[in-house]
Amino acid sequence: MYIIKKGQVSRIAKELQKDYRMYGPVLEPETQQVMFTRVDDAADIDLGLPLPANPVKSAVFPHFERIMSYVYDRQDGKVDIKPDFDDAPKALFGIRPCDLTGILCLDRFFLGQEFVDEVYRNHRKNIFIVSQTCTEPFAQCFCVCTDSGPGAREGYDLNLTDLGGEYLVEAGSEKGKRLAEKLSLPKSDDSHMREKEKRIDRAVSLFGSIAKENKAWISRVVNRVTTGLIDEKVWEYIGSQCLECGACTYVCPTCSCFNIAEQGTGEDAADRMRTWDSCAYEGYSRMAGGHNPRKPVEDRRNKRFFCKLSYSQSKKYLRPGCVGCGRCAWVCPGDIGLPNVVTYIRREIQK
Amino acid sequence: MNYKPGICTFCGTGCGHLLDVREGEVCGVYPLQNHPVSKGRLCVRGWNIHELLRTNEKIRTPLIRKNGTLMETTYDKAVGVLVDNLSKHAMADAGEIGFLASPRSSNEENFLLMKLARAVFKTNNISLDSDPGHRRSLDVLHRSTGMAGMSGSLEEISKAGFILIAGIDITKQNPIIGSEIHKAGRAGARIVTIDTRNTQIARLSGRFLQVRPGSYKIVMAYMAKVLLDEFLTDPDFIKKHTSGYDGFAAVIRTLGEADVAEKTGVPADDLREVARELARAGTAMAFFSSGISGFDQDTISYIYNLFLMSGKIGREGSGVNPITGINNLQGSYDMGIAPDLLTGFQPISDAAAVDKFSREWGVTLPAAPGRSIYELLSGGGKPRAMVVVEHDESIITNVNEIRDMDFVAYIGSFKNNFMDYAHVVLPIATYVEADGTYTNTGRRVQLSKKKLEPPKGVKPGWRLYSMIAERAGAKWGYGSPAEVMEEIARLTPAYEGISHRRLEGTYGIKWPCNKENPEGTARFNLEGSSKKIPFAPVDSSFRVPQSSDEYPILLLIGEAQHYWHQNNLMKKTNIPLREYNATLLLYPQGYVAVSPENAREIGVRDRSPVKIVSPYGSMEAMVQVTDKVAKNTAYVAYFVHDMITKFFLEHRDVLKRGEDATIPVRIMRV
Amino acid sequence: MSERNNTTIPEIATIEEIKDEIVEVKTFYLSFDGRKGGSPPEFKSGQFVMCTVFGAGEFAVSLPPSPENDRFHLTVRKVGKVTGALHDCAVGDKVGIRGPFGNGFPFDEIKGKNVVYVAGGIGLIPLRSSIMHVMQNKEKFGRILLFLGARTPQELMYQYNLKDWKATPGFETHVTIDNPVPGWDGETGFVHTLLKKKDVPVKDTVAFVCGPPVMFNAVIKELINIGIQEEHIISTLERHMKCGIGKCQHCSIGRTLVCTDGPVYTYRQIKTLGEQI
Repeated sequence: MYIIKKGQVSRIAKELQKDYRMYGPVLEPETQQVMFTRVDDAADIDLGLPLPANPVKSAVFPHFERIMSYVYDRQDGKVDIKPDFDDAPKALFGIRPCDLTGILCLDRFFLGQEFVDEVYRNHRKNIFIVSQTCTEPFAQCFCVCTDSGPGAREGYDLNLTDLGGEYLVEAGSEKGKRLAEKLSLPKSDDSHMREKEKRIDRAVSLFGSIAKENKAWISRVVNRVTTGLIDEKVWEYIGSQCLECGACTYVCPTCSCFNIAEQGTGEDAADRMRTWDSCAYEGYSRMAGGHNPRKPVEDRRNKRFFCKLSYSQSKKYLRPGCVGCGRCAWVCPGDIGLPNVVTYIRREIQK
Repeated sequence: MNYKPGICTFCGTGCGHLLDVREGEVCGVYPLQNHPVSKGRLCVRGWNIHELLRTNEKIRTPLIRKNGTLMETTYDKAVGVLVDNLSKHAMADAGEIGFLASPRSSNEENFLLMKLARAVFKTNNISLDSDPGHRRSLDVLHRSTGMAGMSGSLEEISKAGFILIAGIDITKQNPIIGSEIHKAGRAGARIVTIDTRNTQIARLSGRFLQVRPGSYKIVMAYMAKVLLDEFLTDPDFIKKHTSGYDGFAAVIRTLGEADVAEKTGVPADDLREVARELARAGTAMAFFSSGISGFDQDTISYIYNLFLMSGKIGREGSGVNPITGINNLQGSYDMGIAPDLLTGFQPISDAAAVDKFSREWGVTLPAAPGRSIYELLSGGGKPRAMVVVEHDESIITNVNEIRDMDFVAYIGSFKNNFMDYAHVVLPIATYVEADGTYTNTGRRVQLSKKKLEPPKGVKPGWRLYSMIAERAGAKWGYGSPAEVMEEIARLTPAYEGISHRRLEGTYGIKWPCNKENPEGTARFNLEGSSKKIPFAPVDSSFRVPQSSDEYPILLLIGEAQHYWHQNNLMKKTNIPLREYNATLLLYPQGYVAVSPENAREIGVRDRSPVKIVSPYGSMEAMVQVTDKVAKNTAYVAYFVHDMITKFFLEHRDVLKRGEDATIPVRIMRV
Repeated sequence: MSERNNTTIPEIATIEEIKDEIVEVKTFYLSFDGRKGGSPPEFKSGQFVMCTVFGAGEFAVSLPPSPENDRFHLTVRKVGKVTGALHDCAVGDKVGIRGPFGNGFPFDEIKGKNVVYVAGGIGLIPLRSSIMHVMQNKEKFGRILLFLGARTPQELMYQYNLKDWKATPGFETHVTIDNPVPGWDGETGFVHTLLKKKDVPVKDTVAFVCGPPVMFNAVIKELINIGIQEEHIISTLERHMKCGIGKCQHCSIGRTLVCTDGPVYTYRQIKTLGEQI
């Protein structure tokens, strides 16, 4: 446990910049939108910015990337395959607990289960995570309903908490400890920990007055979603409002579905591209030959929320699939973000 | 910061987005939260636009056809061939050449193409694709309000108390506008959909009236009559701000009430209730499709008059709003892509306007209005040469006439089947590879800045058109697209205050932008004004298409499930193509949608082959059994290639009527 | 957790021979360039591989060969762009293979039991591997029956194998064509009707079912009718697949991923998946 003066916190970023590609929350000046993205200069990162519009997953699971390229010379019978994995060291600086939880879910999903996903493993190999505690919620947040904030408990290398004049710097790994020592950060004492607890409690208490846009008592619906004992009419009501845009899955920190497509670069030569895909789309489950087991839009809505909220799926993440960031509610054209869906289901249960 | 703000260029909504550009390539996209129209939302096309921009299926070099095959060449040579051929045919008779512009090109590109046609090749034969759908809306609106564009405001949808959606599958065509309407409904607005098909917005509306094909006009006329009969008009408004009401009232009085229910297919009481809701709402908006399958002029006039008599024009939260399905369809008309219009809807017949252009350009302009490409190809003339910009071959119904031409040039960014008909192909940069402005369906002119370099050697459109002009002997000398916009602003009153410098860093400016409206114009405004605007002239024929025992089903033609007009662009993507194919691969030869009752009568199941027979021709397709269409109505997607090139050639007159296009047919099992 | 060197990047195989099966179906015999003797990676009956057709794309295809002594091959029907491109390939052309993936048929659990195979059309392809294995280890099982249905005699798969199977003592084969056709003097009617007519063992019996969804439902109904239990009815499910290793989630059905938990499932499992198949 260490502390660092508030004005000096950029020292951590500058030190990381020597060995890592830096990613952090940045304000796009023309549109005033906060995006989590790569920066050339660590000084561009502003920890005080609100929750970024995009989830952190794009640093380890990009929207569109090439994973392999090949050239097949049919005459000579030679195939030249070149994997194209990105294993550059990356530092994710200033991520919030909800987004950190999203990364942990992706870790457990991509690196656990039956196989290890090589593409993700390469992205993730050399990552340094500096998270920050949220001392205040934003209007769209509901991490308190999903046990993913306002303070992170695991998964970070360093965790920063704003205590007023200084930051509490908690090391969550050997890597983090080494960096703190390297910067000769002064050690903290009990009073700092107590202050952190106070700030977290205060943050939680502010949810009622600030985080008014979304509430989702997920625990109340997990059972029903898992067993499927929800009236078809609820899903039809939800499905009727779905514009099948895919936004909810793209902005979700834990969604990880992807598509593989080949882009031709010549005769018998192509780049194999991996891109975000969405179970919201009709073609997602369509098989060659035409059979589509998940054609009606309400079935797809059902599947998505089964994925996010059911007990069986959360076994893969070792926690619920939703991290309470509120992004799906913001981007949904039909107004059926996760919090609204939970509300509809609860209404039906209560009836 | 690799996320660069930009605008989506698929549909006419013009949503804002951020493009992730790294090392000269587009790597992703993200919605723009603070954009006044899209507010952080995108649709399936917008979310996957990076796939289109990353495609390898681009035209990389100019091409010339030699011995039947397109061979690589230089811009110099290709432009030379183009100019030689066009000049040759232009000199013979300027009526023998034509320019088919693209509703996807930027304003600057369209302006220069128009200048090329008029100032350099001395022809007024310049137009958009075959059907003047949006033009009808603009004619009606301009004639009355003086504004050739949406009279309301997309940003005020939340302020409308009553929203009428007529004949547009809006959540599929312009999804984000559909979303805005849906959200207004959830906040308490009354949403009413009037359509022949049970669309998604119909199911989300407070009330849905499924009307018989071809009866929209009667529906609107009858609702106007209800307002008249029940004294539900806004008499103060009519007196203060309109003229010609008596003439309109006289016409609607002639509507025979007795057969309204039979002709429209809905109970007269329902129509009465809707009319009353419209009248009593403080603010109201109408949305309808404007483009290749929009309404005919009379229907639009009735919608307009209905809203005018109830005081729903010229106020905040109200307006008549034609919706364009393609990103720069509105801008194309603003830039004078029409045989009889200069920019800003200034007609060629306006001597002062023509004089202004002549002096700015230093040339005499051709005086007589030209003909649209559609007219040239099917009007019995003998067009010899044509320049086509960025068009699918499936749009063109006159493939044979095109093949007969002496010279066809194709200009575009992406590979396209249309190239099979071209003698010369000239590539241009895509919209992210050059600065350009685009005008959305809400009159919002937005600047898209260049974000990456075009493929090696490929020129941006504005440079190519300048090069062609120069080769033909004209000296243009533009240094940038910004300079082109400066000239547009000088010549176009509505764009007077618009410049790239002003647009930079903003979410665009809504025209008219001039001395009276220096910040642009939210909506057509009558408040505080003493202007009197006329009612639109209408005709009083209230006929509807009739079916008969021999041809009992009314076949509608319209946009496909997803209105992705230029299928060509979709074919360059992965995910949107897969979604598009989800329907189309299921029905490879195209489909005709029929109701379950009709399917049972005919004795077919989903995907069974059927034959569709009309008084003039027949075609085969697969049947799609759906409850989206009512009994004895069938629906066929317009953009299925074989259908338009074979079957509908016999029904050109019908096609011209857009959304009201109906053909009585018989459908039989094969 | 399985670690292998071809889970993401395919390994190269050469097409040694191409055989025409029924209309639009071809068999491709492959040898693996990077392996000793060209032999394939170790695989189990019931598994599948992801096959890359260079220049076209990748698709999932089940493995018909028996792991014991069968030339490695893929039997593929032409249904789309990638399978179409494969059909255009010639002997000597190269393809990419990732895998094998998926669980296999549970042979250990069914030792000593009677085995009933019910296949519809090209549903026989994934079952072939299992049939060959069981045939080669006949003494471990009880009665072995095969019920094979097809729309027309031209659409009967593996007719050369069928001849051998018919001639094998202890292997009862029954073949039916949907509708009577001149020149066909065998059984007619849908394959599930055969189950009613013939002597099907019920006690200590396991049934393997594979075919189009319509046939599948009818056959299951019939098997349950005659008394075979749900956990003794085994099928191999199909789904749109992209990664094959449980990450892209295209193949999900309810709580399961077909590429890793399946593609072999018992009917009891299928009922509780949470979504229709």
